[in-house]
Amino acid sequence: MAILLMGHPNVGKSAVFNRLTGANITESNYPGTTVDFTEGYTYIDGKEYKVIDVPGTFSTDPKDEAEKVALDILAEHEDPIVLVVIDSTKIERGLYLAFEIMERGYKVMIALNMWDDAEKHDLSIDVDQLEEILGVPVVPTVAISGKGISTLVENVPTASRVDIERLREKITSL
Amino acid sequence: MKLDPEERWRLIDRVARETVEYGAERSTIGSVLAELTVKPLTGIPFAFAVLYGFWGFFDAFAGFFTDGFFVPLFDDHWLPWIQEAFPLKGSWLYYVLVGDPEAVNSFEALGMLTSGFFVAIGVVLPAIVAFYLVITILEDSGYMPRLAVLVDTVLHKIGLHGFAVVPMILSLGCNVPGVASTRTLETKKQRFMIMILLSVFIPCGAQLGVMLSLIPEYFGYIMIYLVTGFFVFGWVLNKLLPGRSPEIITDVPPLRTPTIANVSRKLWVKVKGFFTNAIPFVLLGVGLVNLLYLGGVISWIANSLEPLFTGWFGIPKETVAPLIAGFLRKDLAVAQLSAIDMSGFQLITSVVIISIYFPCIATFSMIIKEGRKSGGVIRVLGGGLLTLVTVVFLWGGLLHLIGILLGVT
Amino acid sequence: MDYGEKGVIKEIDRDLKDQLLGRGIREGKTIRMDTKQPINGPVVITIDRSTTSLGFNLAKDIFVEVENGDTSNGPS
Ligand SMILES: Nc1nc2c(ncn2[C@@H]2O[C@H](COP(=O)(O)OP(=O)(O)OP(=O)(O)O)[C@@H](O)[C@H]2O)c(=O)[nH]1
Ligand SMILES: [Mg+2]
Repeated sequence: MAILLMGHPNVGKSAVFNRLTGANITESNYPGTTVDFTEGYTYIDGKEYKVIDVPGTFSTDPKDEAEKVALDILAEHEDPIVLVVIDSTKIERGLYLAFEIMERGYKVMIALNMWDDAEKHDLSIDVDQLEEILGVPVVPTVAISGKGISTLVENVPTASRVDIERLREKITSL
Repeated sequence: MKLDPEERWRLIDRVARETVEYGAERSTIGSVLAELTVKPLTGIPFAFAVLYGFWGFFDAFAGFFTDGFFVPLFDDHWLPWIQEAFPLKGSWLYYVLVGDPEAVNSFEALGMLTSGFFVAIGVVLPAIVAFYLVITILEDSGYMPRLAVLVDTVLHKIGLHGFAVVPMILSLGCNVPGVASTRTLETKKQRFMIMILLSVFIPCGAQLGVMLSLIPEYFGYIMIYLVTGFFVFGWVLNKLLPGRSPEIITDVPPLRTPTIANVSRKLWVKVKGFFTNAIPFVLLGVGLVNLLYLGGVISWIANSLEPLFTGWFGIPKETVAPLIAGFLRKDLAVAQLSAIDMSGFQLITSVVIISIYFPCIATFSMIIKEGRKSGGVIRVLGGGLLTLVTVVFLWGGLLHLIGILLGVT
Repeated sequence: MDYGEKGVIKEIDRDLKDQLLGRGIREGKTIRMDTKQPINGPVVITIDRSTTSLGFNLAKDIFVEVENGDTSNGPS
């Protein structure tokens, strides 16, 4: 089973990857640090998962070579779990990518990373409600300190596909 | 089922209204600094101050360890000891491993165990550590995208855009990750241009370290000449090459304080990589050149290329040996110049030629790998070699001409 | 638009729109111009909490209604 870490550039995918697999991939504070994919392994409930750190991408329509790599990886894997990593302070645009991936029918879960930054900026996100609306696991994380990573791991088996039609109705009737 | 973009945004805005609450945006010291670094009036002086400060640090750090510690260690203790202790003086093995039995400094001894170790550990290692420390801080602070915004106008003139500073800065550490990072540029034209320009004109940290230790007095001239070359040939390539040069679109992340944990982790990865990938190549380079000397190959090549070297570039034919070493490691190539008798201006020319004549083997392999994604290996290599030969002849020859005009040759 | 000014995005040129949608830059959002570089250099804008830099010729294609009521395009 493969878990793909996808999300915008510089949201902390590589940091989450290092936390999940104990690897040492480069994390830097500029978009486009990771330009190639890296694989690692992690065990959840005795089951082996292949974790893949993917270059950052803004949408499912690639604009450069690094984004092309990201989308090729997505296409290559059969029925992966896509862990969409979102910068909590930029949650809207992160959800945009998450929606695009959900629309393609993948199993999805969401990490609201940089949760510390969101708190610092007085930004409050109702995680439970968000989870309820979207119907996929949503976990606040701080990848650099490791906060939330264990909850993230616990939630991997509950990652799920989303019926977009139903989601649309649900949101419209909010 | 796919939504159209407008609808997707409508739904997301609705979700966000329900679940997200924005507090008042506060000005912090960080956010004020963040703004000042991208405003031209304050940002440009700040950029100069940052680069100058980092340069000063690099110089001081590398100088402290190399001149203060490793030079005395190698010259006063290791070199005389191994010259005496190693058996078989006069044999080819002694020549390959120890080099010149009479040499009094570790640059000029030219043996694997003498110059090889000295260059790798005494000169390049401190330079690498200092350089990566600086680059890591640039990376982790979030300053690089700000620099990209500031230099966008200049790079725009040669068909690139500001984000090309990222490969440029990474290349100052090592050209290999520099070439890899060109993937974030949008068009084949931009990727090809920056790949070629940086592998030709941007010396890596290891080479800079040796230059700084060996010829600090010429350092500035060499860099100015190389940077000028970068822009001149960038301008020409931009005019000649077909393809689009789109404008910059980049996120500007918030400034963060680099964490000691992350900085030391990255530094450790680099240093480990240096021990496993670089040092063997330096030693191999020294050994190879020595064997080629013994086999008479070097003097044969030197004699056949003499007209080109002395006539066109104005440098001694013996420079062939360092140039061969340069295929493996440019830092080693520069270090080997120290054993050749030549004038200051010839030294400057030789270092420039070493920088531009061919990328080191590691960079070359990376270009082949990336070339596949940027218009095909054949086109990238063909175009690259053509550019390279032109640059070497014109830019190398021009320097000779400048020397003649200045009357220093 | 000038430094520090805020406005609402009225319209984005078709070609550019696709590129910017994923970045959260879209019609109806409030935008703040942080800086613009001299000699037609790039502009830096903030939308929500995310800061983006755009080349001059791209920014020209974003039409913004500035808070005082005028409509103007990008870096005027
Ligand atoms: N404050 C804070 N910083 C974080 C967090 N996660 C990551 N970072 C920092 O954010 C920056 C980006 O992290 P990366 O892991 O390199 O991001 P990425 O998503 O892999 O980026 P690309 O490879 O460019 O796509 C680094 O400087 C990290 O140290 C977090 O939860 N909180
Ligand atoms: Mg990454």
